[in-house]
Parts: sequence; C-alpha cells; structure tokens
Amino acid sequence: MIEGFRLGVCSRGTTLWDGLDFAFGDAAAWFVTGPPSSGKTLLLSILRGMRRPDAGDVLVSGESLYRGNAALARAWRASCGHVPEQTVPDARLTVGDLFLRSALAGGGVRESDRKDRTDRLLEMVGLPGASGWRVAELSISERTRSCLAAELLRGPKVLFCDGVIAAAGVPFWEMLWGLFRALAREGNTVVLAERRIPERWALAAGDPEPVGPFRVYRLPCPAADVKGESG
Amino acid sequence: MSERPSLWWIDWRLSRDSLVREAIGRFLFFCFLGFALLSLLLSGGASRFLADRYAITVVLRAGVPPAEAEGLARKAAALSPVRSAVYRDPEAAWKEFLRAYPGLDPLRDAGGNPMPGYIEIRIRPDRLTGDDVDLVASALRPVPLVEQVLAGDEWLPRLLRAGRLALWGGWGIFGVFLAGFFLVARLQERARAVALAADFAFLTERGVPEGRLAFFRAAAAAVSGFLLAAAGTAAGGGALFLSLRKFPFLEGGIGPPSDLLLPRTVAAAALFSCGAALLSAAASLLGGRAARSGRK
Repeated sequence: MIEGFRLGVCSRGTTLWDGLDFAFGDAAAWFVTGPPSSGKTLLLSILRGMRRPDAGDVLVSGESLYRGNAALARAWRASCGHVPEQTVPDARLTVGDLFLRSALAGGGVRESDRKDRTDRLLEMVGLPGASGWRVAELSISERTRSCLAAELLRGPKVLFCDGVIAAAGVPFWEMLWGLFRALAREGNTVVLAERRIPERWALAAGDPEPVGPFRVYRLPCPAADVKGESG
Repeated sequence: MSERPSLWWIDWRLSRDSLVREAIGRFLFFCFLGFALLSLLLSGGASRFLADRYAITVVLRAGVPPAEAEGLARKAAALSPVRSAVYRDPEAAWKEFLRAYPGLDPLRDAGGNPMPGYIEIRIRPDRLTGDDVDLVASALRPVPLVEQVLAGDEWLPRLLRAGRLALWGGWGIFGVFLAGFFLVARLQERARAVALAADFAFLTERGVPEGRLAFFRAAAAAVSGFLLAAAGTAAGGGALFLSLRKFPFLEGGIGPPSDLLLPRTVAAAALFSCGAALLSAAASLLGGRAARSGRK
C-alpha cells in the first residue's frame, strides 16, 4: 500500500498543490490523469522516493519514506520500476544496453536468464529482435516500449509509468491494457500517469476519484485472480 | 553460463571500448615506469657507477709475507660493507705501475722493485657511504702490517654528495612521472564517470547506493591497476634484462641482469604494483567525485 498524506509541492515559486491524499492499494493498476503542468511527473517522483514533498509524507506499508531510515527508502527504490517520459536518449546505448543496465540495478538476474527474458519481453512489447538496435534511432513509441520491457526484466514489485500510454500509441493500447492487468493479477502494483485516459479504459474503470488537479482510476482486475486477495 | 551481473567491473560492462583504450595506455606507461624503477633500484642512482670506480687501497709495509697479506685481505673481505678485497703482491703492483706509466723501467734497476704490495678493497654499491668507508678504513689503519690506507678522504664526501643528488634526482623524476600517471588517470576516470553519469543515475534511482557504486568502481580500478602495473613492470624488467644482455657496458652503471631476480627487487616491484593499485583506486574515487560535483 502506497499512501500519500497531505502532500504539497511548491514549484516555480508557487504552490502547485497542497493537502492531497492518495492511497494506491497493492496488486492493482492505477491510472492518474491530470492536465499538462499539473505535476504528474513530480507526483511519481515523490511516490518513488526520489523527491521529498514540501508538505506531507509518503507511507509505504505503513513506513514513512522520507522520515524513516534511508535503508528503507533505498529498499523501496530497489523494488520499483520506472519508465520515464521519453527525453533525449543516450546516443551510445542500444536496446540491449537498457536491459543490461536494468539487470545491473537488479543484481540478481543471471546472464543466461537475461538473454532469454530480453528476447521474450521485447517480443511481448512488439519489438522482436530489437536488442541490437540503437536507442537514438528508435521512435518515441519504440523507445517507450523498450524501456518498459527493460524495467520488467527485474520484475519490479511496483511499476511507475510516466506518459507511457500516450507515447506507445493507439496500436499498443490493447497490449498494454492486458500487460498491466496481468501484472496486477501477479500481485504487482502499477501506477500510470497520463494526461488523459483512453475512453475504453475509463469506461471499464468507472468513476474516478478526484484528488486536487488529478483524477485517480483503478483499472478493473478480476479480484478472484489477484494473488494475495484470493482465498 | 551462469554469470550473475554485479557491480564489479561495472565500467567494463558499460563502457568496454574506452576502458580497453585506457588499459592499453596504462600498461605501456607502466612498462616505462617499471623499466625506470628497476633501473633506479639496481643502479642506486649513480651508486653502482661510483662503487665500480672507487676502491680503498691498503698499502702494506715492505716485507709482509704473502700468506699474511692474503689473510688480511680475507679479513677485510669479511667486513659487511666490503664487496671484494684482493691482495696484489709487489710484482703485480710494479706491472700495474708500468702499465700506467710506461717507460719507467729504469727505476727498478736502481734499487730493486720500489712498489709495495697492497690490498684493493671494493665497497658494495648499497654501502657506499662516508660512514661505511670510515668503518673499513678505521678497521685497517691500526693493523701493524698496514703502512697506509688511501680512501680518498678529501674528495670522497663531494663524490658521495654528488651520488646522493643523482639518486634523489632520479627518484624525483620517477615521482613526477608517477604523479603524472595519477593526474591523467584521475582525468580519465572523471571523463568516464561523466560519460556514464546517466547509467549511474539510473542505478541510484533504482536503489543502488552511490557509495556502493563508488566502492566497486574503485575496487575494480585497484585490481586492474595492480595487474597492469605488475604486467608492465614485468615487461619493463624483461626489456631491461635484454638490454643488459645485449649491451654489457650498461652493467657498470645499472648492475648485472641476475640482480633483477633478487628477492628485494621482486619485493620492490610488488610494492610498486600495490602503490599503483592504491593510486588507481584513489584516481577512481576522486574522478568519480569530481564528475558528480561537476568540478574539473
């Protein structure tokens, strides 16, 4: 359970938002929408333990991320995956390097496993055989999907995705819908931040919870299949 | 293959090409430094050159029996600073005199061989100091068989001072090159840390502590620094060995090739490799820190 209590952020000399409460339950896919410059990326940074909020606190499984000990925050970051909004890529990197880097962060992925899983994950996100491609030569959609696949290599318990749906493009929405639901069914938590939610997803998710400038949706996931909630 | 990727050799995993280039450059530099180090160690600066040319001459009294003179030479050879002590009888001394001053044969006709027998004492290069020369001279002066000890008392201190200056100069130049290695290595480490900054940020964002990263990078730099220095010194030693074999006149200034395998030479090379490892680790830590803080 990730909880944000009375979160407040100052940016560019003004208060961006203040007094916001969030609660992201485990084993679920969450969708946070908000207008441009509303602080979605900032919110994800705060939830990941990378940026201390100017007010309030974030609790993970009841422990404070910013007021607790540093080892807890580090362990939390180690259990998180993060697909950032795509910016200028590192020209020397190949898609395979993204997976190598992810494996190094995980520290527990065997070399042989990495190669097998890299191929399978790339195929899953619609990029079969892309391991040797240079990231700088990929489209935004390809870059986003390869980063997502690289993060999944480590099997993060919590996955934060910033603008992934919009960047991936409409043809991959179905694949991502299935992927995020599958991750939630496996007991993982997915938090997506987007400007808008695809219409079909919004219909399936039902009414969102308004929190400040944001709308928080919980994507439907058959409860009986969710590990930890079943039985 | 069941290799588990870890933060060991992380630079090698992420930036292989630049690391190979740097390793080749460092190896060549260590070859040069190894050659210089071993030459300095063996030669002792100018000590071996001076020791090769300097001798204490113990002039014996007239009529000293050869057996007693040889016994005295053996006793002199047993003194710790002495490398060799050789007795020359009056006949040999006369021949040497004639070689040095040809045409003076008539001197002998006047009243027999005027040259006394003497003992030529050579000092070990590492013991060629004023104290050790005094030790040998003062041990021989009171002996009744000895007429005079010629140890160059007037000019020896100046010669030894010049030798010490040459030694310090040699080590000073070596130190400058070592410091140059450290500065270049630090710049290389910094440049690599800047190039890999995005990768390191990626890892720290995912819970890898910065300190752990720095530790593993420094440890890998130390191990590779040790291996490169050991290999470079071995190669430099090999080159020195071949040079001494091919140009024997160098032995007078540097020493015999067999001295390269003396335990103290090997120990000094190992110590140098350890020092190179420490410098490499320090360069990695300082270069990484400079890259993080954006300093030059």
